[in-house]
Amino acid sequence: MRFFKKTNIDFLKPRRWAYLGSSLLILAGIVSMVVKGIDFGIDFRGGTELILKFERPIEIGQLRTALGTVGLGQSQIKTYGTDQSILIRSVETGSGATVGSAIKAAVQQALPDAKFTVLKEDKVGPKIGAELRKDATYAVIASLIAVLGYVAVRFKFIYGAGAVIALFHDVLTTMSVMSLLNGVIPGLNLEVSLEVVAALLTIVGVSVNDTVVVFDRIRENLKIHRTMSLGEVINKSQNDMLGRTIITNGTIFLVLLVLLLGGGEVTRGFAFAMTIGTITGSYSTIYIASAIVLDWSLRKQKAAVK
Amino acid sequence: MVVSLVFLYPTYEDYQYRKHLSSLSGQDSISYLEQNQDDILKAKLKRMKLGLDLQGGMRVVLEVDVIKLIEDIAKNKDDNFLAIIKEVRTEATNNDESVIPIFARKFQERGIRLSRYFGSIRDADNAVLAYLDNETEKAVDRAIEIVRNRVDQYRVSEPTIQKQGSRRIIVELPGVKDEREVQTLLQGTAKLEFRLLRDPAISYRVMQAIDDFLAGKVPADTSVASKSAKKEEKPKDALDDLLAGNKPAATDTTKEAQFLREHPFFSYVSPDQQNTGEGFVLENNRDRVMRLLARPDVQHLLPLDFEFLWSAKTDPTPDGKKFYRIYAVKRVAELEGGVVVDARANVDPTDNRPIVNMEMNAEGAREWARITGANVNKRIAIALDNAVFSAPTVINKIVGGRSQITGMESPNEARLLEIVLRAGALPAPVGIIEQRSVGPSLGEDSIRAGLTTTLISFLITVFFMVIYYKMGGFVADIALFFNLLFIVAVLAGFQATLTLPGIAGMILTIGMAVDANVLINERIREELEGGKTIRAAIDLGYSKAFSAILDSNVTTFLTGIILYQFGSGPIQGFALTLMIGIVATMFSAIVITRVVFNLMTDRGITPNFG
Repeated sequence: MRFFKKTNIDFLKPRRWAYLGSSLLILAGIVSMVVKGIDFGIDFRGGTELILKFERPIEIGQLRTALGTVGLGQSQIKTYGTDQSILIRSVETGSGATVGSAIKAAVQQALPDAKFTVLKEDKVGPKIGAELRKDATYAVIASLIAVLGYVAVRFKFIYGAGAVIALFHDVLTTMSVMSLLNGVIPGLNLEVSLEVVAALLTIVGVSVNDTVVVFDRIRENLKIHRTMSLGEVINKSQNDMLGRTIITNGTIFLVLLVLLLGGGEVTRGFAFAMTIGTITGSYSTIYIASAIVLDWSLRKQKAAVK
Repeated sequence: MVVSLVFLYPTYEDYQYRKHLSSLSGQDSISYLEQNQDDILKAKLKRMKLGLDLQGGMRVVLEVDVIKLIEDIAKNKDDNFLAIIKEVRTEATNNDESVIPIFARKFQERGIRLSRYFGSIRDADNAVLAYLDNETEKAVDRAIEIVRNRVDQYRVSEPTIQKQGSRRIIVELPGVKDEREVQTLLQGTAKLEFRLLRDPAISYRVMQAIDDFLAGKVPADTSVASKSAKKEEKPKDALDDLLAGNKPAATDTTKEAQFLREHPFFSYVSPDQQNTGEGFVLENNRDRVMRLLARPDVQHLLPLDFEFLWSAKTDPTPDGKKFYRIYAVKRVAELEGGVVVDARANVDPTDNRPIVNMEMNAEGAREWARITGANVNKRIAIALDNAVFSAPTVINKIVGGRSQITGMESPNEARLLEIVLRAGALPAPVGIIEQRSVGPSLGEDSIRAGLTTTLISFLITVFFMVIYYKMGGFVADIALFFNLLFIVAVLAGFQATLTLPGIAGMILTIGMAVDANVLINERIREELEGGKTIRAAIDLGYSKAFSAILDSNVTTFLTGIILYQFGSGPIQGFALTLMIGIVATMFSAIVITRVVFNLMTDRGITPNFG
C-alpha cells in the first residue's frame, strides 16, 4: 500500500501566505493571552486544589454558596470529567493543609447527604509556583539552545536558526491555540500546568525530529543534484519525504488521539497540547524551517550579485 | 531479552501475591501473609514501583523556616532585632532572594554588627553569616532525621525522604491519605527523652512470660524454678541461631514447627545472652513482633512502669542480615530533651574513638547529677519519638551538665546522635510548602486508562504498519514489541518509579519508534524502485537512513535530558521513559529489524515492502 507515488508539489511557493497565516494566528494568540491572561494551573500560581468525587451529581451553585460561608467564594469550581467529579481551586494556601480541610468541612456541612471521596488534593505554596514558572521557562529556552547548537554543528548555522525559529513557532502556536480555545470547549481544561510544559518540551523534541529528517534529505540531495537550485532541492526533498512525514506524524497523531479521548482527565491537557504541536510540527518543517533557509540563502545570493 | 524477563518477574510475582491476598479474607489473609512473608517482601523490593499518582499517597515538600531559625538562635534579642526580623519576613515573601543575604543587608543598612546577636562579640559579619548558613544546613539534617524516624515508627511502607537543595525536604508517603496523619508525622516538635532501662533480669522474665502466655502455658507458681533454669538456656540457643544465621530448625521443618509452637515469642525475639536485657529481632520479623506486643492481652502481662522500645536503626548480623533491638525501659522519662543546650560529635584525643559531648542547662544539669548519681552502672536510653538511638551506661555521677557519650562504632553514628540530641534542644522549624495527595481510586483509574491507551495505540500502530508495509511492517512490529519490553524491563531493572507521565512517555515512544522503521522502509522502497536487488536495497536503505535517524533521535534525546534536569518528580518520570525509549528505539529499530531481514534473505525469503 502506498499513499503517494512520486509527488512533485511546489511546497514552497505559497510560503508568504504561510508566514502571514502563522503570524496572524500567533498574534491572535498573544492578544488572547494578554486579554484573558495565561491560565496557569496551581503548579505555577500556587494555591489549593481539590478534586472531589460525589456519589450523585452536584450543582456547582450549591458548592459555591457552601464555600462562600467560609470565605472561599472566589474559588474556581468546575466539573472534572463527569458531573459527579468536581474540581475546586482556591488561590489561598494557608498554613499546613488548612484550606483543603476548610473546603471539605464546608462542603460536608452544606450538603450533608452528598457523600464524596477525595480523589486528589494539592497544595502548592506561592513561592514554589514562582520557582516552577522560572524553571519551566529556563527549560524551554535551554532546549531551544541545545537544538540550535546541535543542528548548527551537524548542518549549517542557518539550518539551526531555521529549526529553532520553527520551534518557537510551534511553541507559540500551541500556546495560542490553547489560550484561544480555553473555556470554549466544555469539559476541556486547557490551563498551563506542569504537564502542558512537558508537552511543550516534547513538541520541541518531536518537531525538531521532523525538521532534522527533512534537512538530512536536503543535505543529501544538495550533494547529488548540484545543478538544481536550492528551492528545487528543498521541494524535491520535501516530496521525497512526504510519505514518511504523513505516516510518522499520522501514527503519532493517532496515538495522541487515543490518549486525548481515552487517557482520562489527568493527561488530557498534555495530549491536547501534543496534538496541536504535532500538526504545527510537520507544518513548520516546510513553511518555517525550510522556508527560512531558502529565503535567507536567496537574500544572500542577491547581496552577492549586487 | 532473557534479562528483560528476569527483571520483570518480581513485578509479576508481586502482582500475583496481591491478587491472591485480596481474594482471601480476614483470618485467611493474615495467615497467608505470615506464611509467605519473606517471599512477598522479596518480590515487593524488586518489583516495579508505582508512582504516587498511580497508587495513591501523599507528597509533601517541607522547607526550613530560616527566619524562625535565626530568631531561635539569636541571643540578646531587642526591639531593633525584632523589627529587622519583621522587615526580612515581609521582604522574603515578596521576592526570590534568599533570607540570609536580606538579613545581612538589613543589618548593614543600620550599621549594626551581627555579632551583637550571634556568636562572640569579636566575630566578623562574614563569620557570623557562615555560621548561620551552617546552622540552616544542620537544621535541615535534623528535620530529615526527625521525619525519617517518625515515618519509620509509623511503619509507612516504602517512604522516600530526600533533601532538595540546602533547605528543602521532599517526603513521599505511598498509601497515606489523611492529612492529619501527615501533620503528626511531619510537624510538631520532636520528643527527646532520657529513659532508664529496666533491670535485665526483669526484662528476661517479662519476655519469658510473654512466650509462655503465647504458647498457651499458664504461668504456674510451681514452675518458677524450672522456668528460671530454662531462661538461662533458651536465650543462648536462640542467639546462637540468630548469629549463625540459620536456625537449626530451618533445615528441619518439623523441628521448626515445634519450636514455633512451644516458643511463639522466642522464635522471633532472641534475648541477648550477654545479660543486657535487650532482645534481638530480625528486620523482617519486626512487624510481626510489633503486632504481638501490641495485643492487649500481651500488654496486660507487662509490669507497671515497664515498656519495650525499639532501636531506631538496625545492626547487621555476621551473615549480613539486619536486626533491631528491643529495650525494656521505664514508662516515665527521667528527663526531657529540652534541657540539652548543645551536642557535638567529636573524636576522643586519647584513643581516636568517636564521642559525643552533650551540654545541659542549669536546671537539667541538677536533675542529671541526681539521676546519674542514683544509677551508676545502669543504662539510660536516649529516645527520640520513642525510638532508641543509644543506651549508654552511666559510669559515674555527672555534675555540671557536661556529659560525654562513648561507644559509637563510627563517626557517622556519633554525628547521628549529635543530630538526635540537638533535635530535642533546638527544634528545626519547618513548614509545608507543597502538598499533593492522590486518592487510591484515582490512581486505579489512571492505571486502567494508561494500560488501555498503551494497548490501543500499540495495536493501531501495529496494524497500520502491517497494512502499509506488509512484511517490512511486520518486522518493524516485532521490533516495536521488543522495544516496549525493553523499556519496561529497564524501568524495572533500575527500580525506577512508573508514573502516569511515564506511561504517556511510553505511548509517545510507540509513536516515535516506528519513525525509524518508516525512514528505513521508505528508503528501501526507493532503492528497490531504482532497480537494486533486495539484498542491496536493504543494505543501502539502512546505511542511508542512519544519519537521519541518528540526528533526529539525538535532538529529541537532548530535550529529554533538559526535561529531566529542570523538571520535578512527575516530569522527570516522563523524561526518563522518553530517553530510555529513544535508546531502545535506536537498538530495536535498527539492529533487531536488520537481523531479521538478513536471516530472511539468507534463507531465500524475499521480504516485501508493500
